[in-house]
Amino acid sequence: MNVNPVPHIKLPHRHKLWFLALGSVCLLVLGITAGFVVLLSGGYSTAATKQHFAITYRILELGLRYSVGAYAEEIETPDLSRADVELGQACYRRYCAQCHGAPGIARDAIGQGQLPAPSSLVQSAREWPAAHLFYVVQKGVRMSGMPAWEFRISEHGLWSTVAFLKQMPLMTPADYGHMSGARQESDCPPPTHSVPYSAERARTLLQQYSCRDCHRIAGVVGPRTHVGPTLVDWRSRKFIAGTLPNTPEHLVRWILDPRALSPQTLMPNVQVSEVHARTMARYLFEAR
Amino acid sequence: MSKSSHVGAALLAVAAVTSLVGCGSQSDFKPRVSGGDARRGALALRQHDCGVCHVIPGIMGARGRVGPSLAEYSRFPYLAGKFPNRPELLVRWIADAPSLAPQTAMPPIAMREQDARDMAAYLYQLE
Repeated sequence: MNVNPVPHIKLPHRHKLWFLALGSVCLLVLGITAGFVVLLSGGYSTAATKQHFAITYRILELGLRYSVGAYAEEIETPDLSRADVELGQACYRRYCAQCHGAPGIARDAIGQGQLPAPSSLVQSAREWPAAHLFYVVQKGVRMSGMPAWEFRISEHGLWSTVAFLKQMPLMTPADYGHMSGARQESDCPPPTHSVPYSAERARTLLQQYSCRDCHRIAGVVGPRTHVGPTLVDWRSRKFIAGTLPNTPEHLVRWILDPRALSPQTLMPNVQVSEVHARTMARYLFEAR
Repeated sequence: MSKSSHVGAALLAVAAVTSLVGCGSQSDFKPRVSGGDARRGALALRQHDCGVCHVIPGIMGARGRVGPSLAEYSRFPYLAGKFPNRPELLVRWIADAPSLAPQTAMPPIAMREQDARDMAAYLYQLE
């Protein structure tokens, strides 16, 4: 027996599809509108004193773990038992302890005021695989306060830091204090090796040396800034800073030390290495 | 959903975008030159051929690439990348840039101070 209590409206197949499509478009329009209303009402708080909902927090945390796991898959961990842990600790003291603290040492005001708060590495470094730690230290975490360190610390220095991170959870405050005597913070090695040119790498450098926060640059997303002149269509410019003829060689020298070429310039020396300056200059001349 | 609610949604979206533009560009600082007149400034910019070296919106043929573009000039925090962009400094810079920065490629230009004032007024209304 075939009982069908629901009144059945017969529609030609083509019309059903039509209604479905119309319904989806309406939902989409409604969704976008709702998004705009939330955005423009100003009701969404961006304050660092207002934590996410618990569910949002867990989802973001989960997203981080999965993303790091996927991207770190191809990283090969060297033998960390022979790593220079003391060098790693020097890097840690120089760049990490301010936000993450250390055994018996509290994080400072910058580390305390952030949201998301920097993780307590005694816990996370103990549990995360070395390759995952390496990836996070090297690349940083977007939309959190975690910077990328690959343009400040050499690969050797990064692995030494990871080796130290794996040891830190096992250290007493006395162990940590004792190790601090071994190396100076300034021993933490900057990157040295040059990497073959690619436009993508150049864009990353222009982002990582915060060039884009004062200059607009073709292909690099950032604020509508007017602090420095736009660098879009750079090759058609006749002068650098209104003083030097615009050649690639002059541009490299300018990036390395602006004040040496124009004492009055307000552009600071951003401590770019020469290899990186060459990559940036080449990109600026090639990009439209 | 009816056609009219589509129109309603579209209107809301337009209103939303408009208010975004309105709020988004809220500015707490608008530079002003005392005694400068933007309309006379446009004339003076043309007379002195500033467009040979600078892109200046609203000035015919001002497409020069020797100096920086002056588009959206009211929002520039720095003058020539060397000084805070203060009205009195800009007036001086326009007439006699080398008196402020001997190294600059921008030449001194013979003009009345009133012309420099008017030009500055014009540049400061470029948003």
